[in-house]
Amino acid sequence: MNPSIVETVNVAREVAWLPWAVQYFFLIGLSYGAFLLSLPGIVGRRRGWAGISRLALLGALVCGLAAPVALLADLHQPGRFYHFYQFFTPSSWMSWGSFFIPVYLGGLVLYAWLAFRPLLAQQATDGSLSPRLARLARTLAYGGLESRGALLAAAAVALVGAALVALYTGMEVMVVRARPLWDTPLLPVQFALTALAGGVGLTLLLKRFSGQPDAAQGSIPLFRALAATQALALLVGAVWLLLGLTGLSPRHAQALAEVAPSAAWRLTAVWAAGSTALTLWLALRRPGSGLLIGLLAMHSAWMMRWTIFIGGQEIPKTGAGFYQYQLPLGYDGLLGIVGTGGLWVALFIALTTLLPVARLNREAA
Amino acid sequence: MTQTQICPPEAVEESPASASRRNFLRGLPVITAGAVGAPLPALAGQPGSRWGMLVDVRKCIGCQACTIACINENEVPEGSYRTIVSTYSVKQPEAAGQPAGTYVLPRLCNHCDNPPCIPVCPVGATFKREDGLVLVDGDRCVGCAYCVQACPYDARYINHDTGKADKCTFCGHRLEAGLLPACVETCVGGARIFGDLNDPKGELSRRIAAAGDSLKVLKPELGTKPRVFYIGLDPRFAGKVAGQGALWNPQLHGGRS
Repeated sequence: MNPSIVETVNVAREVAWLPWAVQYFFLIGLSYGAFLLSLPGIVGRRRGWAGISRLALLGALVCGLAAPVALLADLHQPGRFYHFYQFFTPSSWMSWGSFFIPVYLGGLVLYAWLAFRPLLAQQATDGSLSPRLARLARTLAYGGLESRGALLAAAAVALVGAALVALYTGMEVMVVRARPLWDTPLLPVQFALTALAGGVGLTLLLKRFSGQPDAAQGSIPLFRALAATQALALLVGAVWLLLGLTGLSPRHAQALAEVAPSAAWRLTAVWAAGSTALTLWLALRRPGSGLLIGLLAMHSAWMMRWTIFIGGQEIPKTGAGFYQYQLPLGYDGLLGIVGTGGLWVALFIALTTLLPVARLNREAA
Repeated sequence: MTQTQICPPEAVEESPASASRRNFLRGLPVITAGAVGAPLPALAGQPGSRWGMLVDVRKCIGCQACTIACINENEVPEGSYRTIVSTYSVKQPEAAGQPAGTYVLPRLCNHCDNPPCIPVCPVGATFKREDGLVLVDGDRCVGCAYCVQACPYDARYINHDTGKADKCTFCGHRLEAGLLPACVETCVGGARIFGDLNDPKGELSRRIAAAGDSLKVLKPELGTKPRVFYIGLDPRFAGKVAGQGALWNPQLHGGRS
C-alpha cells in the first residue's frame, strides 16, 4: 500500500460472478474428477477398483446433474440460456463451454446408465425395494443387459467431454487479462488438480459411508491418488510462487504483486498450502477411514475456487486497496450455496434409493 | 433548453462535430440571436464519424456533475455508475507548502478500438458500432457478466433493474438527436471534449493534435486502444492505483427482490 495516496471518492464494484459460480466450478470439477476415478474399475476392470469406480461414478453423476443448475442461476437472465445455442460465438470460451457441457453430461449419463443397468436389474429382483420402486428400477434397467461396446463408447464421449470441460473452465477464467490474479497460465492446471483431488475426496466420503467394514482397506488406491494430487498441487503452487517472486513470468509477478501486500491474502495462501500439505501427510501416513482427508480435499477444492472467484473480484481493477465482500444471506449468497447443497442431497437420495451405495461398493456386482 | 436549439451558427461552422461545455459558454452572448433562428445540431454526425472523448484532467474540479447528469440521463440504478470522478488525496512533498493535494480522474467506458469485453461475450450481445460506440444488445444479453470481468476499466456493471450488462453508451441516443453526451454538456470546467475523431478540423482532433506527448490513455500496456484520451494524466493513476482504498461499498445483489 502506498500511504501517500488515499482514495476519497470512488465506488466499490460489487462481485458480478456470484457464489453460484463458485458452486458450479466446484461441482463440475468434482464431477469430472470423480468420473476419471470411475474409469479404472468400470472401463479398465482393474482389480480392487470396482467398488471405488461405481461410487465415483455415482458422485460424478450427482455433481454433474447439480452443477448446471448453479451455472444457470449465476446468469442474471437464466431464461435466456437458449441464446447460448442460438448465437454461438467462437471467440468466447464460455460459448464453447455451453456446447462442451452437454457433450460431457450426455456421455456421463449414458455411461452411468450403461454401467448401472445390470445393478438396477438385480436391485429390482432381490426384494429390497418396494413394488413400485422395483418396477421403476426394472424399467430403468431396460432388460439389465451389459453392453460392453456401448459402455466403452459412452465412456469415451464422457472422457472427451470431461477433458473439454476441464479445458474450458480453466481457460475461461485464465483469459481475463483485466484480472491479473486470473490471468496466469498455471490457473487451468490448478483448477484441474484441485478438481481431481475433490473428486477423490468425494469418493472417499462415499466409500466411508458405504457401510462396508473394510472401507479403509478398500480405499488404499484412493489414498494414493489423493496423495499424488496433493503433491502435484504443492509443486504447481511452488512453481507459481517462484515464477512470481523471480519475475520469470511477468503475469505471475503481477498477480503476486496484487495480493502480496494484503495480510488476508497471505493468510489464505498459508492456509491453502498448509491444508494441502496436511492432506498429503495424512494420506500417506495416517489416512484413517478416509473421512478426514476426504473432507480436507473437498474443502481445498472449494476454497481454491472461492478464493479465485470471490477473492479475485475483491481486487479493484482501477481503484485503490481492496473491496470487502460480505456474503449475503439470500439467494445470491448463502441461500444459493445451501440450496445447491440441498439439490445435491436430493439427487443423491433419489439415485441411492434405487441403487444403494452398499450395492455399488460391492467388489463383485 | 438544449444545445440543439441554442448553439450559435458560428460555433457549428467552426467546429462541426466537436463541442464542449466551454464552447457553449462562449456562445452565450449570441444565445438570443441563435434561439430565434432555426434549430441547429450541436453535433453533426456525418457518415464515417468516429466518436471519441478527450478528458483534460487539469480542468476537472471533481464536482461530480457529470456523474449525476449521467445517472439522470440514463436511469442508472442506485449504486452503479457509468461515469464517476475518482478522487484521491495525494501527499505532497514538504516544499509544496501544504500537506496534501487532490487529484481527480473522470472514468468512463473507453470505447476501445480493441475492446476486451467483446470477444468474451458468449452470445455476441456486445459489439462495436462503425461510429466507434461499444454497445450492448439488451435483447440478446444473458447477464453472464463475463464482459464485466473482462473490462480492465471497471466500466461495466450488471443493471439490477434489467438483469443485463450495462455501460456508458457515449449517450448514443443523444448523439442521434445531435446532442452532446450528458456528461460533456454538464461539465462545469469544460474538461470533457467530445467529437468526431475522423474530422481533422474538429475541436477534438485539434486538441488531440496539440496535446502531443501529453496525450495519454488508461492502461496503454493492455493494447485496448481506448478512444477516451487524457491530458494531465499522472502516471500513478493510469493503471490500478496503489494507495489506500475508498470506504464506500454498496452491494445490491440480492437486495432487490
